Amino acid sequence: MTEVFVNMGQISAFKTQGILTTVGLGSCVGVTLYDDLAKVGVMGHIFLPRSRERDAGAPPGKYADTGIPAMIDEAVRLGAQRSRLKAKMAGGANLFPNLNANSTSIGTQNIEAVTEHLKKHGIAIIGKDVAGDYGRKMRFFVDTGVVTVTAIGKEAVKI
Amino acid sequence: MMNDAKLDFLKELANIGTGHATTALSQMLSGRLFQLVVPDAQMLPFDQAADYVGGLEQVIVGIFVVVSGDVRGHMAFLLPVDSALVLVRLLTEDDSGEINELARSALQELGNIMITSYLNALAKMTTLLMAPSVPGVAVDMAGAVWQSILAGAEVTDEVTVIRTEFFADGEAIEGHILFLPDDDDFKQIARMLGLEEV
Repeated sequence: MTEVFVNMGQISAFKTQGILTTVGLGSCVGVTLYDDLAKVGVMGHIFLPRSRERDAGAPPGKYADTGIPAMIDEAVRLGAQRSRLKAKMAGGANLFPNLNANSTSIGTQNIEAVTEHLKKHGIAIIGKDVAGDYGRKMRFFVDTGVVTVTAIGKEAVKI
Repeated sequence: MMNDAKLDFLKELANIGTGHATTALSQMLSGRLFQLVVPDAQMLPFDQAADYVGGLEQVIVGIFVVVSGDVRGHMAFLLPVDSALVLVRLLTEDDSGEINELARSALQELGNIMITSYLNALAKMTTLLMAPSVPGVAVDMAGAVWQSILAGAEVTDEVTVIRTEFFADGEAIEGHILFLPDDDDFKQIARMLGLEEV
């Protein structure tokens, strides 16, 4: 099966089959959308919670507020039905907790923003493995909708 | 866009900073000598930034500080976990081969001394204040560490990265020191050194 690596700020998709993978999720959040009937899967790799004016030319997938709608559009373009889309997410860690002791970490802000924008678009989150202080790798098998999350020194998690 | 002269200037800063940092490291390691590899200065577009450190799934030790003062930015000291274990053995005589709590604090202190030496050297040249925060230490996938650093720097369309690699003579130690100055503040360094606006 073809495996595509989804880098920071990117959005990639498969129909029927294929593996969408993101490695090295730290504070970033990996998000998947899946229509299990149409077998359409989209993955985004969200870098920061909110788009900023001084970064107007950024790809939509870089920020949660622009990324979630762009992912939905991509799923629909490939034949998914909006009402059938379900989401999963992983990442949003804080690798340097002592530097963020007095403020909300970027990881937490990313988790909150992704959750908020999915909710705004009426998409349920049916699986997640988020937060903590360690990085993750996320693989999305579009033929089944299964997402696996691995981390250094930890058991793989299926979400 | 930056011309070659300006990139050369950035490389020179990296050379001076890393030279001081490795001298400090050498003093901690009873005089072991380090070789610097030609520094690299780049304005990396965002979509190429993730791959810059390479080996995204390999376990590395990352020591990260936020720089405040007249020049703001972010600094990181990244090294393969094997190199970190050699440093820990030399510093603490612990050869358990794992990054335990003692090892973490030794690496944190080492990173602190190296980064402070780097910044002090630049501060002295420019008379600008550059103060590092307490360092954070992560032992994790290179991609996750580097990505978290880029997010901490809130990178927009491109990021200035000044990197120097170094190696030790006679010991399997290698690492990189990276400096990500905030764009506006970085211009101050150039101005203070009498260079034209970058």
